[in-house]
Amino acid sequence: MKLTKAEIKFIDNYLIKNGVKYWDVRLELLDHTVSAVEDKINNEGVSFNEALLEIHHGFGNRIHNGYTYHLDFEKALYIDNKGLKKLTLKAQKNMAKQHRKRFWKTYPKFLMSLRFLLEFSIIIGIVFVVHRFNPKTALIIALIACFLPEIFKIFFGVFDRSNRKSLKMQMAVNISSLYMALSYLLMGVFNSYYDSVPQKPYVYLTVFFVCLFPFVRHALNTYKQIFIENREEYRLVNA
Amino acid sequence: MSNSKLYKGSLNTIILKLLNENDKMYGYEITQKVKALTKGELNITEGALYPALHKLEAEGLLDVEVAKVDNRLRKYYKLTETGTKETVNKLNELAEYIKTMQALVKPKFA
Repeated sequence: MKLTKAEIKFIDNYLIKNGVKYWDVRLELLDHTVSAVEDKINNEGVSFNEALLEIHHGFGNRIHNGYTYHLDFEKALYIDNKGLKKLTLKAQKNMAKQHRKRFWKTYPKFLMSLRFLLEFSIIIGIVFVVHRFNPKTALIIALIACFLPEIFKIFFGVFDRSNRKSLKMQMAVNISSLYMALSYLLMGVFNSYYDSVPQKPYVYLTVFFVCLFPFVRHALNTYKQIFIENREEYRLVNA
Repeated sequence: MSNSKLYKGSLNTIILKLLNENDKMYGYEITQKVKALTKGELNITEGALYPALHKLEAEGLLDVEVAKVDNRLRKYYKLTETGTKETVNKLNELAEYIKTMQALVKPKFA
């Protein structure tokens, strides 16, 4: 016996109510729960409610309150969601790791790409020429070049529905967060260290931001690739 | 499962071994296969299976394929090239471990 659309919807809502808000995490858990409930009903002769409670327990959630067992179905189903929360957190951690791995795996190839070499040469050329006349302006140019990919990343696919409540995309936004945090830190240190110096050596910061550009630029590339894959998956869900 | 702690460290190896024998599998299928192979002795819970699958995927040992089945999406896991190599290593490690444990629990007396 297959579950009805209403029963599948109930399971989907149960997962949402228990904190599995990301659709890309939920799709796998929904399939698992539906398959398991169908199997239990067909082969073990249990009811829908009993089967669902058993699976809820299997995710590592409590289905009783202290020593009070045999609670109402709804109460038992929503009394605890620690297991599902833990699962989402672990998925988040693993997704970040996966994105990082992907970033580094594709990085050497990206550095050798014609498009990047061209972009990088233009930036170096402009910064170098401007630096000879006005070091501060050169720094601003390097800074803009570095932050532009980050700004693009924020606006890239911002109105796309697949981006909303997607753990994969949420973690993809953070790929370059370490480099951005580093840049903030360096600017802070630079400002406090050379606070009283009238002619600040902007060249250090300029070199740093030019060197940071390949990382930030590749982070945008990786983000775009993940976005395209995620959108395909979302279309499949809603097809 | 009689003692979950004893099996805990071998979960990744079990998953890799199953995927090595089957082209691709989805989460629930893995739990059922393990249950059938061990005649119900080993029951992998959902709370243990999915973090393990996600970890193996993040490490690049598993690849994911998504397909529409019964009007919902199903995630199939399959071994990557690195995953196939790692399965051999993990199985050797496990065999060594079992050998060591056997020597400890069933010592041969001269």
